[in-house]
Amino acid sequence: MPHQCTNCGHVFADGSKEMLSGCPDCGGNKFQYHPSEIPADSPSGDPTPSDGSDADSSTVSGAVGRAADRVRDAVAEADTPADDPTPDDEGDTQSDPAADSPGATAPDADPGVRAATPDDEDGAQATARSEVVDVSTLPDQPTDGRVVEEPDTDEAEPDLEDLREELNDQFESIRIVAPGQYELNLMELYDRQEYIIALQEDGQYVIEVPDAWEAADPTDVE
Amino acid sequence: MGLFADLRDSVSRVTASLFADDSEPKRIGIYGPPNAGKTTLANRIARDWTGDAVGPESHIPHETRRARRKENVEIERNGKTVTIDIVDTPGVTTKVDYSQFLDHDMEKDEAVRRSREATEGVAEAMHWLREDVDGVIYVLDATNDPFTQVNTMLIGIIESRDLPVLILANKTDLDDANIQRVSNAFPQHETIPLSALEGENMDEVYDKIAAYFG
Repeated sequence: MPHQCTNCGHVFADGSKEMLSGCPDCGGNKFQYHPSEIPADSPSGDPTPSDGSDADSSTVSGAVGRAADRVRDAVAEADTPADDPTPDDEGDTQSDPAADSPGATAPDADPGVRAATPDDEDGAQATARSEVVDVSTLPDQPTDGRVVEEPDTDEAEPDLEDLREELNDQFESIRIVAPGQYELNLMELYDRQEYIIALQEDGQYVIEVPDAWEAADPTDVE
Repeated sequence: MGLFADLRDSVSRVTASLFADDSEPKRIGIYGPPNAGKTTLANRIARDWTGDAVGPESHIPHETRRARRKENVEIERNGKTVTIDIVDTPGVTTKVDYSQFLDHDMEKDEAVRRSREATEGVAEAMHWLREDVDGVIYVLDATNDPFTQVNTMLIGIIESRDLPVLILANKTDLDDANIQRVSNAFPQHETIPLSALEGENMDEVYDKIAAYFG
C-alpha cells in the first residue's frame, strides 16, 4: 500500500488505478508515496505505544521510548524501588527485562525514576535527554507532521488552478503580432461576455462589460 | 440620469418582448469571410425594398469594419410581407495584416489603422453572433475554396445555436465561380447561387429569406 490520500488517509493498494480518478472517499487528488508498509499507521502513529516499539528508528516517540527503556533498564539493574511513585509502571518494570516495552510508559517513567535513584538516573537521564535532543533536531524525521500540514497546501492548490484557468480564459482572444498585424481566436471572441470595442497598440483592449453593453447597443450600430 | 435612461430602456425592452413578440422583426446577420460580397448583398436587399443603401462597397477587404444595421426591411413574397432587420457585419477572419492593404495604394499608417479597425470589427461581428442575431445569411465567394477554418467554425457556431441559416454562393457572374463546391462543403444546408452585384437570382434569394426568417 504505497499510496495514501493526504486528505482523508485512504490507503491504496500497490499499483491501484483507483486514485487516478481521485480519492473515492473524499475526492482528494493529492497522495503521498510510501515505499514501505509504514503509511497504514502513520497518521495516528505518535500516541500509540505499539508504534513506539515498531518504528524505533524513525520517530521521535520511538526515540523517547528507547530512552525510557534505557532508563528503566538502568533502574532495574540498580534494584531500586522505582515502582513506588509511579504505580502505572509496576507492570512494565516487571516485564521489562523480558520484552521491549511500549513507549507509552515514557512520560511516566522519567519523573518516577528521577525521584528514586539519583546516581544512576543522572547518567540515564543524560543519555535520554541527549537522545531526544538529537532526534528532535533532525528536520527530516517527522514525516507524520507533514501529513497534518498537507490539507493546507491542498486548499491552496485550487486557488492556483482557478487563477490559471482564469488567466487562460482571458488570454489571447486577440493577439497583437506587431502593429497592424493581428491573430484572432474566433471561438474565444464568441465565448466572451465582454465586447471589445477598441484596440490599442500597446496591447490594451477597451472592452465593454455586459451590463453596459445593453445600454450602448443601439448607439454603437447606428 | 444615465441610470434612469438605462432602466427605462430595459423596461421598454422587456415590455416590448412581452407584448410584441410576433411582430418584432427578426434580426438577420449577414456573415462570411472578407470580400465575399456581404455589403453588396446588404445594399442590394436594402435598395430593392427600402431605396436606401447600407454602406459603401469596395473590392478592398475589410471595407466594412463596424456592423451596420438596416431596420424594418419589408420583403413581399406571395402576397405576404416579411419584416427583417439586416445586420451587415465585418468579414470574419483569423488573421488581419496591414500589408494586405498596401497593395491597394494605401499608406502604411492608414493600412495599420484599417487593420486595427478590421480586427475590432471581427470582434464585434462575433459578439453580435452571440448576442443579437436571430438568423444568418452566410455569404461565400463562389470562386474561393469554401473549406476554410473560419467557414467551418462559424457554420458550426450557427448550428450549435440552432439559428436558421441560408448559405449563398455569391459572385456567380464570375467565370470561375463553382457553386457545386460550395454546396458540397455544407451539404446539411441549402445553397443558393446569386450575383449580388448583378442582381442575378435575387428572386430565389428573397423567396428563401421569407421562408427561413418570416
